[in-house]
This record gives sequence, structure tokens and C-alpha cells, in this order.
Amino acid sequence: MMEHTMKAFDADLQDLGRMVAEMGGLAEQQISDAIDALDRRDSMIAQQVITGDARIDTLQREIEEKVILTIARRQPMAVDLREIVGALRISNDIERIGDLAKNIAKRVLVLDSEFRSQKVMRGVEHMAELVLAQIKDVLDAYARRDVQKALAVWRSDEGIDAVNNSLFRELLTYMMEDPRNIGICIHLLFCAKNIERMGDHATNIAETVYYMVEGQTVMEERPKGDKTSMTMVPFDA
Amino acid sequence: MTAMHETRKSTGVAVPPPHMHAPVEAGTELEEKVSVRHVDFFYGDNRALKDISVPLYARMVTAFIGPSGCGKSTLLRTLNRIYDLYPNQRAEGEVLLDGKNILSPKQDLNLLRARIGMVFQKPTPFPMSIYENIAFGVRLYERLGKSDLDLRVEQGLRRAALWDEVKDQLSANGLSLSGGQQQRLCIARTVAVKPEVILLDEPCSALDPISTAKIEELIDELKDDYTIAIVTHNMQQAARVSDFTAFMYLGELAEFGTTSKMFTAPSDRRTQDYITGRFG
Repeated sequence: MMEHTMKAFDADLQDLGRMVAEMGGLAEQQISDAIDALDRRDSMIAQQVITGDARIDTLQREIEEKVILTIARRQPMAVDLREIVGALRISNDIERIGDLAKNIAKRVLVLDSEFRSQKVMRGVEHMAELVLAQIKDVLDAYARRDVQKALAVWRSDEGIDAVNNSLFRELLTYMMEDPRNIGICIHLLFCAKNIERMGDHATNIAETVYYMVEGQTVMEERPKGDKTSMTMVPFDA
Repeated sequence: MTAMHETRKSTGVAVPPPHMHAPVEAGTELEEKVSVRHVDFFYGDNRALKDISVPLYARMVTAFIGPSGCGKSTLLRTLNRIYDLYPNQRAEGEVLLDGKNILSPKQDLNLLRARIGMVFQKPTPFPMSIYENIAFGVRLYERLGKSDLDLRVEQGLRRAALWDEVKDQLSANGLSLSGGQQQRLCIARTVAVKPEVILLDEPCSALDPISTAKIEELIDELKDDYTIAIVTHNMQQAARVSDFTAFMYLGELAEFGTTSKMFTAPSDRRTQDYITGRFG
């Protein structure tokens, strides 16, 4: 795109884009660390994730301040206005993603049960991998202003929902088998839910990228696959 | 997850041009007060306007924006045929006011300028008292008794938000007022003859922010009764005061649409570059 006559305005916008990208990178790292901590029941890593969230929060505040200042100083219009509002919205979504990673790490600290299920852990890991790929793709779409890539992320949230649904059933079954599993299974259920929520934030970011580039909101209906709110497993012991 | 597709409301605009995406206000019926149709304008051999077609909707504010020399002021000058005062300037095409072509040679120019008032970039008060500045124009078109005329002067000054500042010095010379007050005096003078359309050619370019805000507030009030066209170089002003925006470039109308659309998601690349400050 052509440069602004006021070069400093371009610098402002570039700074915002760089800060959002940095936030995104940090959030990706936080997610993989949190899953790692969960998998290994490693409270050291979990603790690092918990304290590491502050950096994301700080960046979000810095972006917010820069957005407010830029609006006040430049009175942005059209594509510039959409870029700036987009940075604000995306930073909010990334901040929430960071909180969800932190929440998983917090749960690691209280897991003291001997309960281990390879199947459940593989499921959680698989979900996390899918979400990480989504987040990476959507941040990439943001960096390149790539609408097609953003739409691809927006449409492919279903895979994550499917894994979440099967994990949900799996965990319900374990809880029915032995009430001693209930504590940890509930925690794992929340971890899965947190990961699923991250996917929702990735689709929010995809919508924002679409709006930034196209100047209008995505009109089609998004495929939704989370069926856990309608799922029951019959008790037949 | 927000349901983005639900935030769009159905448009209620009557006869929307194909490039209009958002309504001014759902359910607003748009009535074309002035229709500019295929207008060309020539300064001698120089073609300053090229096939301009644009509507001015009744009781709406239409802003004309674009770089210097793009033809905004020329178009405004065409709308009340001020150009007729100068030799070698001519307009071709049609400008319909309530369906009648005002570019027709049969058009009574004095009557036209009573129906379409104009305020210029620089305040142009007559070198006479504040009272006379307003009464002068009214007397040209109407015979009013002293008390009716007094009332009309007061109404004009009140509408222009100037009354409280000048009511005790109506006999003072109009030129003794500050720039912002002079501009509001010119607006009062324009409003007092009860026009139907008001043309504002950069009315705030010489004013401080407070006077500018007063005039913008005035525009907002006036549009309940009048059709307003404003030329401005101030993007924020166009965004603040207008319902529709026309972007002109090199004598052509590059884009016309609702102001909300034009300043958030214009469809023409040139509009985008201009309003975001990307013109070389």
C-alpha cells in the first residue's frame, strides 16, 4: 500500500502490527508450555507459564495505549481506522488466549491424582496442536492481511470441536467408573474447554482480519461443532 | 464468539444507488432536492467538471471533498449559477431543483439565489450594520413592516447562534465582529431569506475550533429544514457533519455514498488514499 504523506503515521501502524505479532508469538509459546506442563505434570513449567502471562497483559495494555494515542493524534480513516481497531480487537483476543493458557497451568499445580489416561492426554495434546496451528495460521493471515487464509481458519474450527466432544464423553465415562477420578477428570475437562475457547478466539481474530481487509463483516454462517452442552452418557453400571 | 452476521440490519433507504451499502437511518425516505445530471463546466477551454451526476437529498447534508482544484467549489458555484457573473464560464448538462432545470436560460437568477443560498470561505459581511446585513437581503425579496423585519433579523441571528452575542449592538458595523462571528453573520444573512438549499464553501477554514464547533452545530440544526451542501478540506469535519459524501478528483466524481461507508470502507482506491492521507 502507498505510504502516508505523514511518515510517522506509517511508523505508528507498523509498531502496532509488530506488537500484536509479538503478543501472538508469546501466546503460542504459553500454550505449548502449558500443555507440556500438563502432560508431564511439571509444576516448574506450570509456574513459569503463570508468571509469563504478565508479559502478554503488559503488551495488551501498551497496544491499547498506543491505539488510543494514535486515534487521538491521527484521526485515522477508512483502512487505517480498521487496522487500528483490528489491532485493538486482536490484542484482546490474544490476551484472553494467554489467560486460558495460564488457567491450564494453574490446574497442573493441583493435579495430585495418580489417574493417567494415555487416551485422554493424547486427545488433549491433539486438540492443543490443532489450536496452535489455527492460531499460527490466523496470526500469519493478520501479518499478511490474507483474507483467504483467515477465512480458512474461520471455517475449520470444527476439528477442534470434534476432539473436544469425544474427550468430553471419554472423561464422563472415567468419572462414572470410579468416583476417585472425578476431581482430575473435571480439571482435564476444563483444560479441554480452555483449549476449545482458544480456538474460538482464533476464529474471532479471523473475523477481525477479514473486516480489516474487506471493510465488512463475514456474512456467512460459521460451522459450529461444539456438542458438549447437549451430550449425556447413560449410566449403565 | 460474536455473531457478526447478526449485526447487519436491513437497509430501509428508498432507491439506494448501487454503491450505497449502509442506510443513513433505517426507514429514511430520500427525496432528491437537487439532481446534478451529466454536468460539464468550462473556464474558457478548460473543462473543470467532467460529466458530474450527483444528488443532493432533501434535509440531508452532502459533503464534497477532494484535493484542491478537483472541482468542488466549481460544482457548488454551478448550483446557484454564481458563475454567470463571469464571462467565458459556462456549464452544460442539467441541474434540477425540484425537477426544474436551473441551468436553463429562462431561469430567474435572483429567484434562484433566494432559493439556493451560499456562504463562502472568507466571511463576506457587507460594510454596514449587523442589522442591515440581514435586513438587506430580506428586503430584496419581501416587503415587510418594521416589526416583521425586526423579527426576521432576530430569527436569522438566533438560527446562526449569534443573537446572544450581538443583540445589544445590532447597529454596530458587521466588519467589527470577529471572524467566527462574521461567518455566522453570513449564515444568518443566508438563512434569513428562507432559502431551500444552502451551499457552504469551506465555511470554517478560517475559524478557530470553538467557532467551527458552533457552525457545525448550526449545520446540524439547519438540516431539519434545509438541504445542505458543504465543501470542506477537513476530513473530520466532513465525517462529523454530513450524511452523504462525494469525493471528487480531477474534475470527476470518483465516489459518492453514505458518509458512514465512505469514511470506514470506501470502495474507490483514490478515495481511500485521499482520506487516509496517502496522496503524494
